[in-house]
Amino acid sequence: MSSVTQVGPQTSQENESVQPASTRSKWMLVCVSAFLLLALLWAFAPDGQAHASWQQFLGRFHPLAVHLPIGLLLLVPVLEIGGRFRPSLREAAGFVLVCAAVCSIGAVVLGMLLAHGGGFAKEAVRGHMWAGLILTIAVITCTFLRSSWITGRSSFLYPVVLLAVLALTAWTGHQGGALTYGKTYLTEFAPAFIKQLEPHKTYPPVDPVSVYVTRIQPILDSNCITCHSGAKVKGGLQLDTYAHLMDGGSSGEVIAASHPEKSLLFTRITLPAEHPKFMPSEGKPPLTAKDIAWIRAWVQQGASPSSTTLVGMELKPAHIDDPIPQVGDYSGLTSQIEQIESSLGIKLDRVSAKPADGLVLRTIGVSQKFDDADLAKLEPLAPYIVDAELGHTKVTDNSFATLAKMPHLRAIHLEETSIDGRNIKQLTGLAELRYLNLSSTRVTKQALSDIAPLKTLQHIYSYNTPAAPVPVP
Amino acid sequence: MKQHPLCTDTEHGPTILDLPIDNGLKHEWAELQTRRHFLGRAGKVMGWAALASLGSGEAVMGLVREPQQRSAPLPSPETLRLPNFAPRAQRAIYLFMSGGPPQMDLFDYKPKLAALFDTDMPDSVRGAQRLTGMSSGQSRFPIAPSHWGFKQYGKQGAWISDLLPYTGKMADDIAIIRSTNTDAINHEPAIMLMNTGNMNTGKPCLGSWLSYGLGSMNNNLPTFMVMMTKKNEEENNQPTSSRLWSSGFLSSEHAGVSLRSAGDPVLYLNNPQGVDGAVRRKMLDAVSEINRQTYEELGDPETHSRIAQYEMAYRMQTSVPELTDLSKEPKTTWDLYGPDARVPGTFAYNCLMARRMAERGVRFTQIYKRGWDVHTHAVGLLPMLCGETDRGAYALVTDLKQRGLLDDTLVVWSGEFGRTVYSQGGITKEDYGRDHHPRCFTTWMAGGGVKPGITFGETDDFSYNVVKDSVPVRDFNATILHCLGIDHNKLTFKAQGLDQKLTGTTPAKVVDELLI
Repeated sequence: MSSVTQVGPQTSQENESVQPASTRSKWMLVCVSAFLLLALLWAFAPDGQAHASWQQFLGRFHPLAVHLPIGLLLLVPVLEIGGRFRPSLREAAGFVLVCAAVCSIGAVVLGMLLAHGGGFAKEAVRGHMWAGLILTIAVITCTFLRSSWITGRSSFLYPVVLLAVLALTAWTGHQGGALTYGKTYLTEFAPAFIKQLEPHKTYPPVDPVSVYVTRIQPILDSNCITCHSGAKVKGGLQLDTYAHLMDGGSSGEVIAASHPEKSLLFTRITLPAEHPKFMPSEGKPPLTAKDIAWIRAWVQQGASPSSTTLVGMELKPAHIDDPIPQVGDYSGLTSQIEQIESSLGIKLDRVSAKPADGLVLRTIGVSQKFDDADLAKLEPLAPYIVDAELGHTKVTDNSFATLAKMPHLRAIHLEETSIDGRNIKQLTGLAELRYLNLSSTRVTKQALSDIAPLKTLQHIYSYNTPAAPVPVP
Repeated sequence: MKQHPLCTDTEHGPTILDLPIDNGLKHEWAELQTRRHFLGRAGKVMGWAALASLGSGEAVMGLVREPQQRSAPLPSPETLRLPNFAPRAQRAIYLFMSGGPPQMDLFDYKPKLAALFDTDMPDSVRGAQRLTGMSSGQSRFPIAPSHWGFKQYGKQGAWISDLLPYTGKMADDIAIIRSTNTDAINHEPAIMLMNTGNMNTGKPCLGSWLSYGLGSMNNNLPTFMVMMTKKNEEENNQPTSSRLWSSGFLSSEHAGVSLRSAGDPVLYLNNPQGVDGAVRRKMLDAVSEINRQTYEELGDPETHSRIAQYEMAYRMQTSVPELTDLSKEPKTTWDLYGPDARVPGTFAYNCLMARRMAERGVRFTQIYKRGWDVHTHAVGLLPMLCGETDRGAYALVTDLKQRGLLDDTLVVWSGEFGRTVYSQGGITKEDYGRDHHPRCFTTWMAGGGVKPGITFGETDDFSYNVVKDSVPVRDFNATILHCLGIDHNKLTFKAQGLDQKLTGTTPAKVVDELLI
């Protein structure tokens, strides 16, 4: 072990005479190369706009080229430590370090071309770029520090800087990876105990009636999430939840609250459609002017997850019919329904595809023979019938007793029947009844006053009855 | 005994000889059978054999073995899961003003035009629009202000022409849409677009879509019925034909059944002399059995339609006479619809019939009135046209309303396009004509979930371009479907490689502002 440690000093003695001049020129070299790299930065500043395509073409080799200096740099400490046992390895370390420096410069130049040519301008890219630059300068510095370390003049500077270089390599590499694959790429499938360590941004809770939920997320859902959620997370960006939206993607955050013009989400959807960065990409239909206006207004006014108003935007609710009371699910009774339908010749049509909307009883096809006894046979289905269309049938006042057992009736048609309404009081228990048609029956004024306590009734028709003398048009 | 798969024709099943028909007929059949059977079946077996040797034999055998699986189950309201949501309207009545009524003479009030009589329409209004061949050659486009005055009616003060005093009386019940517009400038494509959502013939019309999607409410009457109004020889009658109520690629049982405007409403509905109901029934049972066999043999779903149509015709033997028997209508009906309603084939009569069909569960009724194509002599023709239609339409809406049916019946009044503000041909103080105009026309809807008493949409000062709340035909139809509980994007049928729908491929939207 002792023999190994002597290697450095011995070499230094041989070089002693040339040292002062060469050291100065070496440091000049470091300064000049650092200056040149910074000048490069000035020439190819990432300004957020795309540039010549050759830049992008070359720039896209950056992810490829960058791995070479990383490998070489990682090899240096191995060789240095191994050199303590086998001196030939230490000699190789110097060569590898110089190679790493040259490759680093190449990778940085390509990286700048990529950022400049591709129009990246976000914080994350800048951070990665500065880290890469500093790393490269540090590697160059290292190559020169190493020669003085070999001569034994400064015994700690080189190892310290080399350690720093390694740390910086890890950090820069991680940043680059996050840019390419997305911030969550590394930890997405990590076991829970690792995930806990991950710093989590917390956002205010999302209000279910907020503008975000009612207007913004639906726009994202119908235009963006096929590429930006679930298994397909292009650009590291997920747009399926508020937290994901605010987390942003590879190019950093996509929402700058109150600044739509600085929000990638907004700028990318408002580029000219033929622009390569335009979203939605791949020829998918662009967002409508209305959708864009909503996104602009929402970001402009703070991108809040809970705000329920937006100044300047009309918050007209989507058309919603009056909520209708729900009945039980009849879908388990299909065979019974069919059996009653065929035995009576009637129809029991569903109101809608949703079973809870109930059934409509239609008797018009058998109106000549449908009577009270037939209606009574429908009692097993009483809880599901919401509309009893008994017009033109042979039912009489005795049927009110059966109708009263159908608690969810919303409409009863009795037009052109022989009822006079003597039992109509029995309907007053039907709390959901809104429509009652007694046209062209023998219904009396007394009957109409009997039904008056039923406050839910909005439409009652008694045209052509004793109760309402026919108006002359 | 197990048969060879190519010999399914020899399987034992019920034959014609087992049917409940006359022995004489059976004998006749048996005689014909021998020769026809030999030639027909032999040819088929040879064909199968040739096909099997040409292609993959197994594929053919598979076909032969499982004839019942050859056609997939047909979509029905059940499998379509319709209505998509609880509907406002159970049924619809469509008053079709064929020919294109002039909007600025009826609903689209343009008082500023009076001062511009016989002046040239500014070029900027028309822009680069191509006109029809009928007026494109004109050296000038003189503005023809409406010959008639307008009054405000109803609580909202809707402007309606003096030509339509009855329509004015129901202003509080209808939603007037002044911004309807279409893509077609000539009758045939425009009327097809209005009815089927496509300018080309061959697509199903609105009524067929409804029949297909929602099904029947009364098995004794067709789901979709059409009535033509008798033609007035003095008017310019553009032809209409059954392609307007065709079911297109949908099963033909969804096509509209048209009632004749004179004589028997349905031809050959009455049994011929010497044939009573029982004989007719027996005959139909036999036909139905033969059709069923044909279906099992060939698997063509149209055979089912044929069976259904025979059955429908049989039931219509009793239901149609009851439907058209107006003897029990009270005097108030005639007071409301007017004396015209007593004459079969008039618009008023058809409106009364439409009300009776609504009562009897017909899902969709369409009444055509031709003659609105007023290229010339508009001043003479319009009072005639309005006189024929105004009262009937008013009576229908009012009658439905008083009988409590307007709540769940949608009434639509529309033509296929509007007419130009400039006069076609010459213009005098006394007369003008108007050419076709697709960019704006006025329609109205009533009942069935439509907001009553509103006027929607605006046109420019020349009633030429829509300036606010445009309602293209596809949105108009999407809104009608919405009233009937249908999401227009979900009522589809796969044909020609496309999930076809009434509103076509251009995105359409429901006009929420028209709905309650």
